[in-house]
Amino acid sequence: MNGPVGITVSGSGRGDGSLGWTSARAAVAGGHGPVRSLYVHTPFCVHKCHYCDFYSFVDQRDQQGAFVERLIEELRAQAPLASGAPLRTIFVGGGTPSLLREDVWRRLLSEMNGLFDLSLIRSGAGEFTVECNPESATAELLGVLRAGGVNRVSMGAQSFEARHLRTLERRHDPERVAEALDLAARAGVERRSIDLIYAVPGQTLAEWEADVRRALALGTTHLSCYNLTYEPNTAMTVRLKRGEFTPVDDDLEADMFELAGALLAERGLERYEVSNYALGGIRGGQACAHNLAYWRQESWLAAGPSASGHVWAGPDRRAGGHRWKNAPNLGAYLAQSDGGYAPVAEHEAPDRARAVRERIMTGVRLSEGLDAAEVMADAEAAEPGSGTRLAAAAAELEADGWLASASGRWRVTARGWLGADFVARKLMGCVGVA
Amino acid sequence: MQIRNFSIIAHIDHGKSTLADRLMQATKAVSAREARAQLLDDMDIERERGITIKASAVTVMHHHTPGAAADDLEENDPAAPEGEAALTGGDNAHGQLFMLNFIDTPGHVDFNYEVSRALKACEGALLVVDATQGVQAQTVVNAYLAINENLTLIPVINKIDLPSARADEVAMEIEQVLGLPAEDCIHVSAKTGIGIPQLLAAICERLPAPAAPRFTQTRGLIFDAQYDDYRGVIVYARMFDGSLKVGDKIRMMGTGRSFQITDIGKRTPKPVRVPSIGPGEAGYIVAAIRSLADVRVGDTITLDNDPAPEALPGYKPPTQVVFCDFYPATTADAKGSDFEKLRDAIEKLSLNDSSFTYIPVHSEALGFGFRCGFLGLLHMEITQERLEREFQTEVVQTAPTVTYQVVMHDGSRLEVHNPAELPKPGTFDEIREPICKVEIILPNENIGDVLKLCSERRGVFKSQSVVGENRQMLTWEIPLAELIYDFYDKLKAMTSGYGTMDYEITDFRPNDLVKVDILINGEKVEALALICHRQNADFRGRILLKKLQKQIDRHQFEIPLQAAIGGKIIARETIKAFRKDVTAKCYGGDVSRKRKLLEKQKEGKKKMKSVGRVDIPQEAFMAVLDQGE
Ligand SMILES: Nc1nc2c(ncn2[C@@H]2O[C@H](COP(=O)(O)OP(=O)(O)OP(=O)(O)O)[C@@H](O)[C@H]2O)c(=O)[nH]1
Ligand code: SF4
Ligand SMILES: [Mg+2]
Repeated sequence: MNGPVGITVSGSGRGDGSLGWTSARAAVAGGHGPVRSLYVHTPFCVHKCHYCDFYSFVDQRDQQGAFVERLIEELRAQAPLASGAPLRTIFVGGGTPSLLREDVWRRLLSEMNGLFDLSLIRSGAGEFTVECNPESATAELLGVLRAGGVNRVSMGAQSFEARHLRTLERRHDPERVAEALDLAARAGVERRSIDLIYAVPGQTLAEWEADVRRALALGTTHLSCYNLTYEPNTAMTVRLKRGEFTPVDDDLEADMFELAGALLAERGLERYEVSNYALGGIRGGQACAHNLAYWRQESWLAAGPSASGHVWAGPDRRAGGHRWKNAPNLGAYLAQSDGGYAPVAEHEAPDRARAVRERIMTGVRLSEGLDAAEVMADAEAAEPGSGTRLAAAAAELEADGWLASASGRWRVTARGWLGADFVARKLMGCVGVA
Repeated sequence: MQIRNFSIIAHIDHGKSTLADRLMQATKAVSAREARAQLLDDMDIERERGITIKASAVTVMHHHTPGAAADDLEENDPAAPEGEAALTGGDNAHGQLFMLNFIDTPGHVDFNYEVSRALKACEGALLVVDATQGVQAQTVVNAYLAINENLTLIPVINKIDLPSARADEVAMEIEQVLGLPAEDCIHVSAKTGIGIPQLLAAICERLPAPAAPRFTQTRGLIFDAQYDDYRGVIVYARMFDGSLKVGDKIRMMGTGRSFQITDIGKRTPKPVRVPSIGPGEAGYIVAAIRSLADVRVGDTITLDNDPAPEALPGYKPPTQVVFCDFYPATTADAKGSDFEKLRDAIEKLSLNDSSFTYIPVHSEALGFGFRCGFLGLLHMEITQERLEREFQTEVVQTAPTVTYQVVMHDGSRLEVHNPAELPKPGTFDEIREPICKVEIILPNENIGDVLKLCSERRGVFKSQSVVGENRQMLTWEIPLAELIYDFYDKLKAMTSGYGTMDYEITDFRPNDLVKVDILINGEKVEALALICHRQNADFRGRILLKKLQKQIDRHQFEIPLQAAIGGKIIARETIKAFRKDVTAKCYGGDVSRKRKLLEKQKEGKKKMKSVGRVDIPQEAFMAVLDQGE
């Protein structure tokens, strides 16, 4: 995005064009504390990977210093929403957070420690994750991160096959992954997760199996396995349309998904979300607590360009929350500040029916599933009649083998994992969608 | 003042509408400021596709010096009145005043009926021929339409500004093929204006004035009509006897209904009110006509208090050759309001285009809709598009078929416009299909390919003749069913665009025709059934199933697709159950986007037609069109 950001906040646009933008203040001010999670987005990368649709770019002007100062300003504005309660989770994503210089990180972490209560995190009961790229995760950097409270890293390995990394235009040496994880362990970062991508054009089932095994061999307790997704406006999608390669066929992709599930289960890593596996599943203590906050519709703050946040509008969660997304534009982020708040690209005001649909959407993707009685009651409260419709749809999905209902919860079956969107559409369609 | 009424006719793209632009500009009906290319093509579809679909009638004023071979154009006289003002006045330094009423017509075969209607309102016609293309199939057809109406023709060779123009050769072609003397041709460029003074002079000199009235009573021919939300039906009429003025009480001789005229005007091309229209003139009439059923194109208008003893000949109704069903695209609600909206749209459109037919139908899969008949595939496509654009409807269209005649055991005949209506096997003697006489004009070097195409399409060779140096005309008999699909596209491709064709139904002949049923998940879907020659049934069935296999999304269960004749399965395919319907990521920032995506996909499903538990997208109903290779 370039130039002035076309920012809209539903219902609160100024309309006179004098300011030309609206900030996240409206959303966050409507929120209800204490908020216990925080997401921070850093936009810099060494190179733009071809499949990537995150807001990230190659930093050519050394804007790291300016960015972090602005970030701190934004965090300061949002900090009161935490109401002094200790944060449970922090996640710094990007972009490539490990690309920020050590001095920049030191400055950021020291401010974060001042603005928020990190006691829970420091005790080990809370979680502080930083996404790392194998090349930039140095011993020094990991030391700085650990000292600042970071206790979890998520390592972007993607594949151990150089050929597939090249297809993805992902630039790192696959051999560096083990080393970087080792450095993290030695720095005292206790939890280390690995990200893998599968269904790369040309990849075979055997190659995928080898990738999973190599990740396991590194002793990881948490793994995220994403199938390559052709997002609009990415180089990968353009290449696909040009016919440069054939995408992996749906059935092979499904086989890869099932194979990963089976291999990881053998080693105790349970699928707790469509693309995420942790030792002992959700209860094993290794699952990503921050992501679970997203999937369970908790409140979280968000800072940095393109970051998205969600805060409950009041103590009654059924009323729904505010969702907003900061404008994905570093220039605008640096130039515009509404008492610290960033310009926003989207804001959705609380809506009961929408809140139920979102809960269904993310809930069916979790091994813990949905609390059937609760979701039906909430649907009914949002729109009379929808609870009954939900029950009927769930029964139909159960009859077709997608969903199983046990102990009052609806959970996807083994087949259902692969049809989570199908299940979600069907259930979501019961609530408030004309 | 003298009057000349003429149509501009030609093969498609030979420059009729551009010539109309020049005539309007030369006579100062349109100022340079208002001018734009193909001004009379005012429908969006016409402008987008660059073709004329509707005939448009215009009145302009011109001064002609009797006996002169070229006129002095008002265009070049800054003092000459412009636009509306040019309508009044009399003879002047530029010559005698002539009122020219002309109609720009479409060139595509499917809109031939528009041409025939226009010709009935005229005494003459300009036959335009592209100097680079020469005589083409529709040149011949349109010329004969005019000759059969006893019109005087002026051959006009257009586009002489182009370096590849071969005007003299084309003049010879016109003489050879149509018998119009080569020296009668006027050479023009509708683009640069060369030859326009000569053309205007020829129009005044050579075309006859309207015949003297036959009756003392008033008679006007309705040659077009249009529905306007505010003014009701607007009627375009050509006066043959007597005149009409505002306030007159008129009677439609066919429908018997009477109305009072509130407004009379002419398109110049801007609509301009006039107090009356007299014998030989054309104009539009507004008379608070609210009911579409009260007006019929081809009807005669007379005065209520002094009606004419007999109506004008009117129009021979056209024969529709291609049929398909239109259904509202959105799932009809309980009140069926989508259907009512479609009915309203179709009725209004049929006023403006009286050449398509419609009758209500009901289909298991698609609900309530209309079986419609058209003059060709383009006509069908344009009609669907006009319904959607001009009347904000959304239409699902089934694959087109031709009319079949079924001869029953008792000798009675049944006309079938839809495979679903075909009686059960064993209850009839034979099925007859429409056979066309097809005339193709093409370059010599492509004859081999085209002969092959014609025989593949079950054609029978009839004759071959020479048209000019390098071209020939082939005459074949080919079943219409084989023509309506991609025959014309194939011909165009084989001849690098130079081949042109015309066809008319001459006959119905028995053939070994069978109905191929399509079953989706075990359920017969009538809207997908087709009738074809037995020898093509396997092939057509297989192509259709393959196409459906691509167009129907994988469902949560396996879907068998079958093609069958009677009870016998002739082809089968399956759509495997989907194994994967899940996206990888759904993090904090993805929630809103993903939610909207899932909701949109769900909405998309609602627009599909479902057969049993299978959702079928609308395009699938057209799958039958693809003949494959
Ligand atoms: N060079 C040149 N081009 C011309 C001339 N007359 C028309 N054209 C071009 O020929 C094309 C077709 O012109 P139209 O006036 O739309 O033809 P038409 O006969 O009305 O076409 P249909 O209504 O579709 O049958 C356009 O691109 C015109 O610009 C001419 O005298 N010289
Ligand atoms: S490193 Fe990550 S954020 Fe950066 S371009 Fe690659 S995929 Fe995108
Ligand atoms: Mg035209």
